[in-house]
Amino acid sequence: MQSAEEKQAPQGWKRIGRAIMDAALVPVLAIFSAIIVGGVVIAVVGGNPFAAYLGLIQGAYGSTKAWSETFVWATPYIFAGLAVALAFKGGLFNIGAEGQLAFGAVATAWVGYALPGMLGVELPAILHIPLAIGAGMLAGFLWAAIPGALRAYAGGSEVINTIMMNYIALNITSFLLNGPMKDNNPLNVIARTPEIAEGARIPVIFDGLRVHWGFPLALIVAFLVWYLLWKTTFGFEIRTVGANPDAAKYAGINYKRVIVLTMALSGLLAGLAGAVEVTGLNYRHELGFSIGYGYDAIAIALLGRTHPLGVVLASILFAGMRNGATRMQFLTQIPVDIISVIQALILLFVAADAIVRYIYRIKAKEDRLVLTRGWGG
Amino acid sequence: MKKMYVMLVALLLAAMLIPACGPTAPDCSKVETFCVGVVTDVGKIDDKSFNQSAWEGVKLAEKDLGAIVQYIETTDAKDYDKNIATFADENYDVVVTVGFALGEATVAAAGKYPNTKFIGVDQFQGAVTPGLAGLNFPEDQAGFLVGALAAQMTTTDKIGGVFATDAVPPVWRFGEGYRAGAQYVNPDIEIFVVYHSDVGFDKTFTDPEWGAATSKSMIEKGADIIFGGGGKTGNGAVIGAVEAGALAIGVDTDQYFTLPEAQKGLLSSAMKLITPGVFDLIKLAKDGAFPDGNYFGKAGFAPYHDLDATVPAEVKAKMDEISAMLLDGSLLTNVAPVKP
Repeated sequence: MQSAEEKQAPQGWKRIGRAIMDAALVPVLAIFSAIIVGGVVIAVVGGNPFAAYLGLIQGAYGSTKAWSETFVWATPYIFAGLAVALAFKGGLFNIGAEGQLAFGAVATAWVGYALPGMLGVELPAILHIPLAIGAGMLAGFLWAAIPGALRAYAGGSEVINTIMMNYIALNITSFLLNGPMKDNNPLNVIARTPEIAEGARIPVIFDGLRVHWGFPLALIVAFLVWYLLWKTTFGFEIRTVGANPDAAKYAGINYKRVIVLTMALSGLLAGLAGAVEVTGLNYRHELGFSIGYGYDAIAIALLGRTHPLGVVLASILFAGMRNGATRMQFLTQIPVDIISVIQALILLFVAADAIVRYIYRIKAKEDRLVLTRGWGG
Repeated sequence: MKKMYVMLVALLLAAMLIPACGPTAPDCSKVETFCVGVVTDVGKIDDKSFNQSAWEGVKLAEKDLGAIVQYIETTDAKDYDKNIATFADENYDVVVTVGFALGEATVAAAGKYPNTKFIGVDQFQGAVTPGLAGLNFPEDQAGFLVGALAAQMTTTDKIGGVFATDAVPPVWRFGEGYRAGAQYVNPDIEIFVVYHSDVGFDKTFTDPEWGAATSKSMIEKGADIIFGGGGKTGNGAVIGAVEAGALAIGVDTDQYFTLPEAQKGLLSSAMKLITPGVFDLIKLAKDGAFPDGNYFGKAGFAPYHDLDATVPAEVKAKMDEISAMLLDGSLLTNVAPVKP
């Protein structure tokens, strides 16, 4: 959507619309193809694909409550998807969103339940919510800065390092939730923190629905990421380093600093995903929450073609699939795993867009999606 | 290219029209329909353990009570509320939630949906909530039974038990019941009991390698029967014992069916009788005699299966006697409900 068109002085809305259509063509066809192949899979395992998809759509977008739950699912997806997309723009592959998200959630939960007791005062929401969310953002920022610095100054692959650091983060989280931060209510046997204070909770938008103000916040943050990338000098530096680090270096950009900061900002967004889940929805952190969002986020960033608007749309789609799966199973008793199959197929078709272009006879465009420049330092 | 866009628009339009004519759920609001739904914890319906046992109890209600039954598998803990509400919003008469992790969501739903009865499998109720029954089990009795069995069947007078963490009360009750049962039969027996409490909750139930290694080290010390309890860790202990040529005892459900690789050496399993417990509660709900608060199901032990011929008749008789005494309360296990 950003591509060549924008730089060559846009000629009105028609041109922009055309650019969006071009950018969305492959993802939309990938989704379409995945739905067809997924339908065949459902039929092969003995289900009725039409009933399954109807149930899925009903459950995802068929009522106010369904939309509310879809937005609940979409909120962390948007933040985490933006995290991965931002890193992609800087030529970095952040597989560590899962760990950054977990640390964000832990830090937010801690500020949420422990801070009032430590200070000895009840904090007002206007102070407590930003403090709690800020702690989560900071945790993600710092945790992701480490692989960023390793990449910039030691040449260590951020792909390998973020994967490794996921294990460290998830095991430390597990230790904290089982040990020092465990909810010590005598009836509790689960690894989870105590509930955060009332004042640290993001309120819901409408009474009776679970969708909370974290969702509008996610949309605002998506806009801010777009603004950062395309309207600021620093964003230009990120994109330049991502497109060609050597050129960036000769242009006088401090590319090492840019790499560290890009990674850290990516981590900040992932941390925000965890922070908003805790303050807006779960009111605590528990090991069963937020499993795999960091990995889903990679698929979302790719499907959204690493553009903030694309990420928002892809998030709402993935969220709808996760959410609608419940109703699909309720109506048809088809296993919810089929959703993972369809999502994997979408990712496959997006990543291997040559297949889609071949099947649907689309001429290749010149600007291919540059994700990362390889696996080395 | 233009044709492509036309096609896309047509597809989008089609997608928007679809919800209008979707599949419909059975109407559970009528008095004559009796609907029962199951919400699993983060796990599958055919897990060959709790979810499956609960579902089998519900299937029994379908057969014997003519209930309309349906299940939803949970993929993320934040969906517990939503998945329970999916049934309650459709006026289901009974919703069964499986596992401790759904405890709070179930209590909240019971408050919100007074016309639906809730059965919380393995959810101990600290306070009574109208319309909610927590289905619990005397794990200590199940452990006691297999402990007594092991003490009679051992030829070395040494038996072992490998468990996940003793911080989880049911696991503790299995382990200590086992110890008590063995000592009841033979006060001089040597019992090795190890809990995997040295690691976190995420690991303690999912460490089959540790289970197998611990089991084998007990066998090297002379134990010839191993009781494994606690998720994959316990399964590892059971399989490890059978591989090492010893006898093994499973836990929770009849593991003859869940661990085929251990069949030839599986003596029995300490069972929570979830299937009849769930069925009984559903029947009580249908008869309008639903008990709020805690409801205790029964504990038992699984058939000897392949080893049936090797168990002497007097041992079988003794086991039936102990089982009857535990049931009528004339024999107590004297195991504390939680680790002191």
